[in-house]
Amino acid sequence: MARSTKHSLADEVRNVAKGWRWGRRPVAPRTAEAHTPPAEPWSFPTDWARSPAGRAARDLVLSGVMKPIVWNETSPEVFGLDNLEGVQPPVMFISNHSSHLDATLILTTLPPKWRNKTATAAAKDYFFDVWWRSAFTALVYGGFPIERGGGERATDKAKELIGDGWNLIVFPEGTRSADGWMQRFRHGSARLAIDMGMPVVPIAIIGAYAAMPKGRFWPKPGRPPIRVRYGRPLRQAEGQSHQAFSLRMQSAIAELFDEDRTSWWEARRRAATGATPKLSGPSGPKWRRTWEGSRDIRRRGRPPAWRSGG
Amino acid sequence: MGRPGFVLEVDERTPPLLVHEGEGFRLQKFPLGSRVIYPPDALPGIKDVRGAIRRALAEPHDAEPLEELLKPGMKLTIAFDDISIPLPPMQEPDVRQLILEEVIELAAAKGVEDLKLIVANSLHRRMTGDEIKHAVGERVFRSFYPRDLTNHDAEDHANLTYVGTTNKGEDVEINKRAAESDLIVYVNINLVAMDGGHKSVPVGLASYRGVRPHHNVSTMLHSKSYMDPRPGHSAIHDSCARMGQLLKDSGVRIFTIETTLNNEVFPQPFGFMNKREWEWSLKEQATYLAAKKANEMAPPKLRHQVWMRVLAPYGVTGINAGETEAVHERTLARLHQQQLTEVNGQSDVMVVGLPFIGPYNVNSIMNPILVHCLGLGYLFNMYRNKPVVRPGGAMIMFHPVPWEFHQVHHPSYVDFFEEVLSQTTDPSTIESKYEQQYATDPWYIHLYRKSHAYHGVHPFYMWYWGAHALDYLGDVIVVGGNPKACERLGYRAATSFRDALEMAGDTVGRSPSITYLHVPPLAIADVR
Repeated sequence: MARSTKHSLADEVRNVAKGWRWGRRPVAPRTAEAHTPPAEPWSFPTDWARSPAGRAARDLVLSGVMKPIVWNETSPEVFGLDNLEGVQPPVMFISNHSSHLDATLILTTLPPKWRNKTATAAAKDYFFDVWWRSAFTALVYGGFPIERGGGERATDKAKELIGDGWNLIVFPEGTRSADGWMQRFRHGSARLAIDMGMPVVPIAIIGAYAAMPKGRFWPKPGRPPIRVRYGRPLRQAEGQSHQAFSLRMQSAIAELFDEDRTSWWEARRRAATGATPKLSGPSGPKWRRTWEGSRDIRRRGRPPAWRSGG
Repeated sequence: MGRPGFVLEVDERTPPLLVHEGEGFRLQKFPLGSRVIYPPDALPGIKDVRGAIRRALAEPHDAEPLEELLKPGMKLTIAFDDISIPLPPMQEPDVRQLILEEVIELAAAKGVEDLKLIVANSLHRRMTGDEIKHAVGERVFRSFYPRDLTNHDAEDHANLTYVGTTNKGEDVEINKRAAESDLIVYVNINLVAMDGGHKSVPVGLASYRGVRPHHNVSTMLHSKSYMDPRPGHSAIHDSCARMGQLLKDSGVRIFTIETTLNNEVFPQPFGFMNKREWEWSLKEQATYLAAKKANEMAPPKLRHQVWMRVLAPYGVTGINAGETEAVHERTLARLHQQQLTEVNGQSDVMVVGLPFIGPYNVNSIMNPILVHCLGLGYLFNMYRNKPVVRPGGAMIMFHPVPWEFHQVHHPSYVDFFEEVLSQTTDPSTIESKYEQQYATDPWYIHLYRKSHAYHGVHPFYMWYWGAHALDYLGDVIVVGGNPKACERLGYRAATSFRDALEMAGDTVGRSPSITYLHVPPLAIADVR
């Protein structure tokens, strides 16, 4: 009797796995998209990750897993942590955003007393769409969901955390840069800092895009250099609008990039005359911006003995 | 409100799709560009079914309220659909039970004493006591069975009434008790568009003489399709309508109660079978794996028992009562809302997975003739306007087609398969050469009346149901089918879907367009 071909359990698992859906992200066929209801609104609870046990677990994961990986696969250097001395928490850490390494780099370079009380604002639609990604974001980054373009309501959780004395890591660009160059800042973070009367600490992360750009989930081989520069805390000037403060925040990061490229003194002089190079990248076709943005950054220190030049 | 049905076009994001194959199922990858017809989502069931029944009886369509039709001293007969619907049988309480209880309550209140209940099983097998009890509920069963609650007997000539002939010469002969009643209340479940309307009393309570005028090859060939009962589309329904009219003209008074169900076919934990595959949760995917493996590993007898115990958690979506045609019009509208999916154009190949159950193998075995009836009869005909497949196209079905028969339920099927189909598969030849012999065979008649056998002529009708498809299709291939049984049916057997497509290449070319009718739950393709 010629029955149909029997499948082994492994075949069956493979067959089912073709429709596997890790959580709630829809993978409907294209013609079914119009017939697929939008995902029900849901909110992943994250408070547990900021409890004492959650913080201890995060410290363990960051120090025991994330830092060894990142610091083994890349060559980070950190500068300007002295700027945090004498600053009263809570503060808002802001940085350019071009890689998944950014949040890890900030959290693993912050002194423990700061890190233990720091939470990361993470886009709800990406980091909190499926349970396993939500749990990872909450545990490792102390992440909490923030709706992009969500208006006033989007910052409710952030305000609650600041009220509880938590520092925040915020990427005012809203998303990772596709070409390595800094994008326009959304003004929501400046408004939040003003509303909560908190200082803003600018951080420039240089080389993360070259090390692990958007689309990669592991750093490039060769331990690419990365530099993390902390700047002086910023505060809203008397009568300064949130838009103006947002531009000031953007300039502060550009100055840190300038400082990294040249020297502190030169960068300060250019900043005083408003001549700090912009971080918006070269004009021209997209490929050119990507090309320039992905250029490896210069290694510092003594060149290896077997190389003839610097 | 559930989502409407739609036609999926298989792309690289489409997971393998669920295909039924008798008492089994599989996930099958379809070629890119194949179309898949999905039925609408299950409509919400009526929350207060008893309340809806009471309203329907009190506010009938084109008829007086039932309460006013009931009078002391009258002769009242309540007939109801037999075990062939719904499929699978409903979880308790069956909607027939709820309606019967309301009708009987009214009759009791109005002082009706002469009340009989009849299972409208026509030439189907007699239902067993347990099966009747499941359909009508314990209270009705205890009050009426077996004296006043009986199966219809189409061969009890002393209890049949010849009503007359229609203007097309069709004989109308129905149950005597029903014909002589002051009122027949007919309780129906309209599972598919073919059911209900004038097909209830003139067919459900008829004799062989009354069924023969429309259950024949010519009528089937002119029913395109019999799932589309609009006048002029289905010769069988036109014939039934004439018979219904004759009954009306002869003074037989019928109060019709029709119900529609939603698409909740599979109970938990098999609810994933009601859902679209890309919407399966992780739990449902795991359930699929576990169920599939357990099903394959189970001994055949146990597997059969498990499948036969599946009871559908149907929700009732509509209850209409009153004059037959007025009621049926509303019933069909509700049914189409649940089952109709618009499809653009025909394709070269139609694919269907045959489920474990059809109308004639409830608590029984789906033998090869019933496979033919379900595939080429019912599922091929699940269309309006024109078939899903083009003329001369191929039909690919998934089913093991076991060479297996239920000796009590299907005795004449065994002989039909061995004696008739071994000679010819041509419906017209079969009809003219063999039908009379089987229909009048005293042993088959005895088994029909005294045992639980389908009438001797029943396998012929099963074959006729597929006459239109046999006439229309260029090739029929069964994936996983028993080669010898398939050969006897005039089909070809393939071991895999890929092989089936390869084989169909002879008929439809190397890169045919493919449409998969994703049932159950049932869908009617409205082909434009």
